[in-house]
Amino acid sequence: MKRILALVSAGTLLCASLAHAGNIGFGAYGGMSFPVLQEDQSQGSIYGLRAPLSLTPLLSVEPFWSSSALGDQLVNVGGVDFTREGSDVTTFGANVMFSTSGPTRFYPYVGMGSVQFKRSGQDETFTSYQFGLGFGFTPAPRFNLDFRGELQAAAKDQVSRKMANVLVGVTYSLYSF
Amino acid sequence: MKTFSKSPALLALAALAAAGCILTSGQFVAHYALPDSAFNTSGTFQGEIVDLNTIREYNDHKQDLKRVDDLALVGDIRNNGAAAVQVEAWIVPAATTPPIGVVPGAVKLWGPISVPAGSTVSVGWDESSTLFVGKQVLIDEIKGDGVFGVYLSAPSPTYDINTTNAAFIAVFSAAK
Repeated sequence: MKRILALVSAGTLLCASLAHAGNIGFGAYGGMSFPVLQEDQSQGSIYGLRAPLSLTPLLSVEPFWSSSALGDQLVNVGGVDFTREGSDVTTFGANVMFSTSGPTRFYPYVGMGSVQFKRSGQDETFTSYQFGLGFGFTPAPRFNLDFRGELQAAAKDQVSRKMANVLVGVTYSLYSF
Repeated sequence: MKTFSKSPALLALAALAAAGCILTSGQFVAHYALPDSAFNTSGTFQGEIVDLNTIREYNDHKQDLKRVDDLALVGDIRNNGAAAVQVEAWIVPAATTPPIGVVPGAVKLWGPISVPAGSTVSVGWDESSTLFVGKQVLIDEIKGDGVFGVYLSAPSPTYDINTTNAAFIAVFSAAK
């Protein structure tokens, strides 16, 4: 009974928040992607699109797509250099952000999705897990500028390829409800 | 009842262990320089034993090796003959001594790559990684004892090829 009451209370609170706090936006972002513990590629650029949906002032769900071009890696074998091209990494998925309220926001976030690594001789799809911390503020009405640092792990077969991503993005608020 | 009450904690521990395994993994490059070799149908045929156990990167992570991510056979291949040849690499999984001549039971590993008459073709990492046809045999060797034989040949009645600056490169994922 207590559980039912708690659920009803939570649902009521959520609905009350939804009545005034919903928002749909669309944004673009870019930055750098740094491979972590990957000896066969180096850092490269990353860019992407996202569509945050604020359910309450404190909770947002954000579907996203990103593309990064990791850099080449040089390996010296017996005095001869051999270069391996970096992977083209395409990710799509969704993040859930837990935001503080106010004109400036700090928000930890977690998410998952699907990530594809593609280069000569390699075309593999992994499950992507990402978590990070963001900081955002509103420089002009309907615009939000944010900075994020995240760790992305592309997992398969009990191992993962990891990237540390540093991102800057702009989001435009399309519709509030 | 006690079992049920412990289940969430055990599940959480298992999830943490799995996540830890994923988070503490990495991709490591191991490379093995091959000596300059000659392969011809007129008598000289110098295959090679690759012993990955002599490579530090492999030895350091052998026990924690989970998957092989990338493979390459790189170097310069010279065709000393008067006609173009289609060069192939073959693997002898059970070899303990360098293959002398074409070995029955060898598995085609890589190729073909065309080398014009009297020319040298430099095979880079990117191109080489697309030429593997017997990848699983090599992966099994890497996950196994790490010792195997390799040689080059061509499906021609006669050929005369030699290699310089050749190396075998493997990228593997390991996790504690």
